[in-house]
Amino acid sequence: MIAVASFLLILAGAAGAWLLRRSWRRREGAAPALVGTGWALLFAAILAAGWGIGPVKGAALALVMEAIGALSVVFHGRVRRKAARARAADAAPEPLDEPGRLWRGILRTLLAGPLGMTAAMALAFCVTVFLPGDPRTRIVIGGMLLPVLWGLAMTWTLADRRLLRATAVLLGTSLLGFGLAFVGGSILGGAA
Amino acid sequence: MSDSRKKQWRWPFSAETVRAVLSSHSVLGLAFAAVIYLVCLTGTIAVFAPDLRRLELPRTPVAAQLAPDAAARALGAAAQQVPGDVSLNLTLPSPARQGASLVAYKGRFERNWAVAEDGSLSPLEAAWTEFLLNLHICLHLPRAWGGFLVGLAGVALLSSLVSGILAHPRVVRDAFHLRLGGSRRLQEADLHNRLGIWALPFHFTLALTGALLGLSTLIVAVLSLLLYRGDTGRVYALFLDPPPPVDARAVPMPGIAALVTQAQARMGGAAVESIVVERPGRADMRISVHGRQPRLLVAQEEVQFDARGRAIHVEHAADLALGTRMLGGIGQLHFGWFGGFPVRLAYGLLGVALCVVTSSGVTIWLARRRDRGRPAPGWERVWAAVCWGQPVILAVTAILAFAVPTAPLTQLWLLLTILAIAGSAIGHRAAPAAHARAWRRALLVSCGVAGLLYAGRLLL
Repeated sequence: MIAVASFLLILAGAAGAWLLRRSWRRREGAAPALVGTGWALLFAAILAAGWGIGPVKGAALALVMEAIGALSVVFHGRVRRKAARARAADAAPEPLDEPGRLWRGILRTLLAGPLGMTAAMALAFCVTVFLPGDPRTRIVIGGMLLPVLWGLAMTWTLADRRLLRATAVLLGTSLLGFGLAFVGGSILGGAA
Repeated sequence: MSDSRKKQWRWPFSAETVRAVLSSHSVLGLAFAAVIYLVCLTGTIAVFAPDLRRLELPRTPVAAQLAPDAAARALGAAAQQVPGDVSLNLTLPSPARQGASLVAYKGRFERNWAVAEDGSLSPLEAAWTEFLLNLHICLHLPRAWGGFLVGLAGVALLSSLVSGILAHPRVVRDAFHLRLGGSRRLQEADLHNRLGIWALPFHFTLALTGALLGLSTLIVAVLSLLLYRGDTGRVYALFLDPPPPVDARAVPMPGIAALVTQAQARMGGAAVESIVVERPGRADMRISVHGRQPRLLVAQEEVQFDARGRAIHVEHAADLALGTRMLGGIGQLHFGWFGGFPVRLAYGLLGVALCVVTSSGVTIWLARRRDRGRPAPGWERVWAAVCWGQPVILAVTAILAFAVPTAPLTQLWLLLTILAIAGSAIGHRAAPAAHARAWRRALLVSCGVAGLLYAGRLLL
């Protein structure tokens, strides 16, 4: 059952990606019909897998297998070039060069690491404490939010050159979030 | 920026913001590259843990099915070999998982057996597979610290995925470009971006579930501080059944086969997936039979019996809180153990893709330095020693485990890793390209030898 479904989902991923690629290759601009059909096929396969195999199990299987199908289309369309200098048009954006200062590096590490984690925890646990519903669901949702929020805080603090602003926002979020979560936890702890 | 470039710029962020985010992507990637790569590499191999165990222990039986009376025999035999206060967990064969296995555990005590179709037990201590799983889960550090470091790597990977998307204004324009040859930097960038984008849902799921599993100890600790004055037991108690009151008197085991049949009748068509016996042979014994509906990721049906064989608790999937169901599925989604070999193979392929994404990120940075006339040959050699060296070292540990099953694999892995990195950093003579080539040859040879040894033993 799973083997057959996997094969069909790889085919669906490849077919969806192939339609998208056909539109992408057109010199006169994208073809909305091809793009729409390609995406519709990819989403329809996820829905069908969720319906046929199980909502989470099917969707997870579809996302994995479709990725393999799509990557096989990308790999099939590879081009091999002779050694040459890269053209300017091929160049991707360059990272911003900043003068390296030790104190900025240390501050950024602290912001992206411990302070980002504290702020993410404060927000995630505010959700856990104040979200209505079963405590187990609230805990798992808060737990899943933590890495996402911490990851976003990392991205932002490492990209933002205004370190003072980032420090203020993260500190404020940590204090406010943990304060609210602590007060809420004291009140609701017994109920949880 | 020229007018023509302004017209082409269709990304929701300014060019300067994109460059700043790209800078953040580089910093984060470089800071965590080695740990993320090691965790991804070991995770990719760990997906095949059930298959690796069979390769390591080819003589152990692989039951295609296990009848209730055979399960009862296996549990009875195991109960006689372990202290009375442990728990026994018998996992039955299923379409997602070949073979039956039994584990006895309590705290640091753990013993594993494979169970044959007649219920007989064979030791199942696959040293190399356990070494690999421990390396992936906690880097062989103490569980709390190692888990935190791996969780942190998961967060860094999540952040890199987000910043990688935000810093990719040509995501549509380059959606299908895979230009090999020519400029090394463009080739690596194409591989990095295509593999990163098209498998993004997989990478995101793995990073999120991995981060959550790694940070779980910390999450529980802080939550217990907020909600229960630091009593972590109360957080765990929300998800685990409380232990029965202690009564250490010896009692005979009830008829497990009859209990399994009785449980199956109450589980609405779910297949029995595991049987857990806590404190076997004691008056406070508890027997839990778990069943899984075919459309669900994990077993969510449960019937519990006491030492006399009376049903004391019945739980169906629909009774469980959403959080409990989500928590149960996280491990399955992370390791890809929910759909048998096809899913493991797919996870393996996309795991390799994630390893390439991680490795090429550093290679792009090194190639950019070289293009700008500031090559870093020392770092190029060190990175080759990490990304090609680690699979070589893992293969060497597998060969050693084959030759000397009791070899100290962790210490050997650490020693070889230090030697490989230090040797690459110090050895100034080898050109980086030749150095990487040498590692690739070593990888071919070591994997070939390991493959021959294990496959040969399996066939003979």
